[in-house]
Amino acid sequence: MSAFVRQVLAIAGKDLTLEARSRERLVSMLTFAVLVAVIFSFALDPTVRGRSIAGAMLWVTVIFAGMLGLGRSFASEREQDALLGLLLAPLDRSALFLGKFLANLLILLVTELVIFPVYALFFQLPLGRGVGGLALVVLLASVGFMALGTLFSAVAAHTRLGETMLPILLLPLLLPVVIFAASATQHLLIGRPLAEQASALRMLLAFDVIFVVVGALVFGAVVEE
Amino acid sequence: MTEVQTDSLASTRRWAIGLSLAAAAGVLATLWMVFFYVPTESTMGVVQRIFYVHVPSAWNAFLAFVIVALCSLGYLWLHDDRLDAIAVSAAEIGVIFTTIVLTTGPLWASIAWGAWWVWDPRLTLTLLLWFIYVGYFMLRGATENPERGKRFAAVLGIVGAIDIPLIHLSVLWFRSQHPKPVILKPEGPTADPRIVQTLLLGFLSFTLLFFALLLLRYGVERMRRSVEALRYRQAMDSPVTHDSQGVYR
Repeated sequence: MSAFVRQVLAIAGKDLTLEARSRERLVSMLTFAVLVAVIFSFALDPTVRGRSIAGAMLWVTVIFAGMLGLGRSFASEREQDALLGLLLAPLDRSALFLGKFLANLLILLVTELVIFPVYALFFQLPLGRGVGGLALVVLLASVGFMALGTLFSAVAAHTRLGETMLPILLLPLLLPVVIFAASATQHLLIGRPLAEQASALRMLLAFDVIFVVVGALVFGAVVEE
Repeated sequence: MTEVQTDSLASTRRWAIGLSLAAAAGVLATLWMVFFYVPTESTMGVVQRIFYVHVPSAWNAFLAFVIVALCSLGYLWLHDDRLDAIAVSAAEIGVIFTTIVLTTGPLWASIAWGAWWVWDPRLTLTLLLWFIYVGYFMLRGATENPERGKRFAAVLGIVGAIDIPLIHLSVLWFRSQHPKPVILKPEGPTADPRIVQTLLLGFLSFTLLFFALLLLRYGVERMRRSVEALRYRQAMDSPVTHDSQGVYR
């Protein structure tokens, strides 16, 4: 295992250990997501079938819950100037980015593992048949979301506005991911075959590659003192 | 790091004045052509005349964005303060022209399409461009350390420039109902030559206006920064004294 991969895993391991011990992000993201589902079910007209707008509801919830978690992503680094310690360590800047990204991604995926069944339960969504394809869409969209999210949560953490700044920076840039994720999810949930979503999946994969590479390249400029 | 040259501002100012005069003449000539020269378009009627302001403004908005992105890239690479000054000046002009596009567009659309707003690819792209610009200024304003603020803005400038084509691609995939180009077509323009002439003059004079504003704003930004640096140096040199109330003097 190369030194770079070890560095990435060390950073991701540190964040995941912190999260496993405190569980503060998982608990807040999940509570928030379930509450949004409750709000949706009462805000929507009773004649609207949840199934016909499930893609939109799910991704609105995932994006906002994910942003809630990202707001805390650099909280431990800000306290006592822990980021300075990380920067002084013999650690590649892009390894730092990829490690934080990996931890954020895993936390989001765990949340999604709960959000999707909860929505299926509340809105009578047929998760059974297309679950493999759905998992692929969720994974690809989450990678792009968290790549941009990790980069801009580091930016937002250093501003006076803090977490308030994050959605303003992130939401416009996330539109491509949201478009393809919501449309593919919606089509899979109404029983369309996965093969029809090939172009959406390819686009999501392309966004993932672009956002991860760009994030790893410019992250140094964000964290440097 | 490149040395800051303060004497270059004199030539910047000369160019700015020259370009401003040329742009003023061009914009006045464009307005004259829009109102008295160009024929009324046959299907859309008189409302189509807003097109000669709308399209060149959109061009300027995207031109500004390209300049912001290139200067941001250069700033992260060379750490030259002047590149950041150009980027912030271009972004300010860009947000103005984006606002013009987003105002003139619905005015036209309410009559031509019967709706003030539709989620067409080009409209969506311009709206998101405006939001990215807004984020750009909020980010600069909300960062306490100015050097860090410049780096953050540069990062947003670069990521935004990469994201804008992706947004366009995605929304195009989603749907399109913006009028198709009638000027730039492989078989040559189908519009009346007077329409083409007016539009070309519009492009030319708005581009001149853009660079005139850019140079003016750049001069102001450089001056603001030297004043700040001088004030800082003065504060460093003079010993801190207190008056009888304990207030710093």
